[in-house]
Amino acid sequence: MPLPPADKLRRAPRPTSSRGRPLWLMWPNLILLTAVIVIPFLIGVYISFLDLDQYTLRKFFKAPFVGFQNYVEAFTSAGLLHSIWISLAFSILTTLVCTPIGLLAAMAVNTAFRGRFLVRSLFLVPYVIPSFVTATVWRFIFQPNGAANSLLDTFGIDGGQWLIGDRAFWALVIVDIWAAWPFIYMMTIAGLQSIPNEMYEAADLDGATWVKKIRYVALPQIRGQLLLGLLLSTLAHFNNFTLPYVLLGSPAPQPALTLPVNVYQTSFQVFRFGLGAAMAVISLILMIIPAVIYLRASKLTAAVGED
Amino acid sequence: MKETIGCHLLPSSRCRCSNLTIETYASAADETTKIQSSVVAGSGPDIHNLGTTFTPVAYATQGFLTLSEDDWTKIGGRERFLPQTLGMSGPDEANQIGVPAAMRPFGLAYNTDMFTAAGIASPPTTWDDFVTDATKLTNSAAGVYGTTLDFSDPFDPWKFIWAMTEQQGGYFVSPDLKTAGLNSDQTLSATTGYFDLLTEYHLADPASVGWKSGDAIAAFSQGKAAMYPMVTAQAIPTLDKSPLKGHYAFASLLTVALGMTERPAGAEPAASIVSGDNIAIASYTKDKDLALQFIDLMTSTDQQLANYQAFGNLPTNQDAMNQLSAQNALLAPFLEIESNSTPTAFTGAWADVQNGVTNVVTQSQPSLASGSYDTGAVKALLDTANSSGQSALDRANK
Repeated sequence: MPLPPADKLRRAPRPTSSRGRPLWLMWPNLILLTAVIVIPFLIGVYISFLDLDQYTLRKFFKAPFVGFQNYVEAFTSAGLLHSIWISLAFSILTTLVCTPIGLLAAMAVNTAFRGRFLVRSLFLVPYVIPSFVTATVWRFIFQPNGAANSLLDTFGIDGGQWLIGDRAFWALVIVDIWAAWPFIYMMTIAGLQSIPNEMYEAADLDGATWVKKIRYVALPQIRGQLLLGLLLSTLAHFNNFTLPYVLLGSPAPQPALTLPVNVYQTSFQVFRFGLGAAMAVISLILMIIPAVIYLRASKLTAAVGED
Repeated sequence: MKETIGCHLLPSSRCRCSNLTIETYASAADETTKIQSSVVAGSGPDIHNLGTTFTPVAYATQGFLTLSEDDWTKIGGRERFLPQTLGMSGPDEANQIGVPAAMRPFGLAYNTDMFTAAGIASPPTTWDDFVTDATKLTNSAAGVYGTTLDFSDPFDPWKFIWAMTEQQGGYFVSPDLKTAGLNSDQTLSATTGYFDLLTEYHLADPASVGWKSGDAIAAFSQGKAAMYPMVTAQAIPTLDKSPLKGHYAFASLLTVALGMTERPAGAEPAASIVSGDNIAIASYTKDKDLALQFIDLMTSTDQQLANYQAFGNLPTNQDAMNQLSAQNALLAPFLEIESNSTPTAFTGAWADVQNGVTNVVTQSQPSLASGSYDTGAVKALLDTANSSGQSALDRANK
């Protein structure tokens, strides 16, 4: 199709829906975003090119410029790839397990029944407890003489040590699933509540079973919320620092050395701020890639008029 | 000023009295972050409280004032302090930034009733004696062990290994602060010796592989362990609230390594690291004299005794510590422990070294839980820690 003349392109009217919008209302947000996110992010990127450590901390911006040396070191000797793998496995696994739990819970309380309010409130308890408290409580539960092993002991199973070696990873997964599934539940229930009853009634008239109603009515209607929930959940698990740090301590067992904890150890325990910043920048890039693909695929960033 | 000190004892996280503002922090990590922010920004508190092992890092930042002879005179002179407490004030006498404000030497707590019942007249003085006594005191069938150990603690394990290394004549960092010694025979022997307390001699609860210091003190206070090594006087309030009150005492940690009857020539006793807090003045201060006055007050006899009453920190002030140990026999051993303590290497690279050794223990935990370990695997972990430590030292010496 031939392009319209340039003067017509220039004079093309704005879409009706954007005309007269008070876009200036965005300024407070933009200023805050710049101050709280953009500027620190740019400083972080700059630090990642500096040899900034305890010896050069006071000079800060005048610390020696080392180009991509921190990035090279991150990949070659700081255990970055190992931590990326651990964080990826951790975030994907926990999201995969949280999703059906959250979906089932949302569907269970979607229709009215006596005590629904109480059940809904209870479902939110793990999510509203601060991560620090969750990790501390589970640390006690997973102690060799803790509640988990006492429970296993009643079945004649020796639970052993949960917070060391390979099992530390699984302990982390269990605790994170316990704490995070209500997020998927909340996203799902919000979507389910917005489905008009008429759609279910129409399905009933067609003789649909409850499985078919979920498959052909509910899930397609909540697709947007669910995909957004999966995206946010995966990112939150990947970036979770408090839970592994408090649950497993530092240094963490290698099988559970997630990227955020590795970045923290590098930056604030051995004071390699430049190297830590490089690892953080790589972490951000890694997160942006799936986030963009996810958002585009789910049309969550679609412009007005696009489908 | 008295009002200010009263303010210091308040539980609030921030309080302002007269012209002094005092902030306390929820954790050591918070404190470290604040110090780093202040160093970068060139503004913040005039005075910082620094842990002794963090003082070399603070010194490396060049964000703190080096105290002149005149400054020392204004705070009562070096002679005001127990000599060993000055061991972590700076790399040498001419370059000291930290004034010792609190002392927390590590000792050995032991259950006097269990010792008497086992016919043991006095606490052990060598690691071999420790093994002998702890073996005698262990009754694993009854769930009672000779000692507590805490392999999951982020701080205690490296101190055991450091002490045993020093007592064999080895080092984590060479005296000239240029060479890491984590791959030496002494460090390997110290590490495996520490592990052997559990895997070979079975002196501690097997669950201690996952214990931190809090678990250790719980086991000791419940009478499930006869000895509790690597304890400070700050444990006293906890122990005195347990059934153990009046049935325990403190002694020095062991000063002769496993398998030895005496230390090799030149080896340090290393009964404890030089542990506690230093006060340092930020280089950006605009009121150095007031800061010195405050330090003078905080390290005075009366205030040091008040600090012990409020926080359990032992005095660094000689007069105060002598008074305290004369009044309280329980505390007397800590004077001897402090006199036998050895400072850790005063280098900004210390954090890498310390974390490296802690990581060796952390990654060895699955083996320890299984009841044995592979010496080759331990050596490989120590080699990795040594590379990291050496790299940090090289950066420090650039």
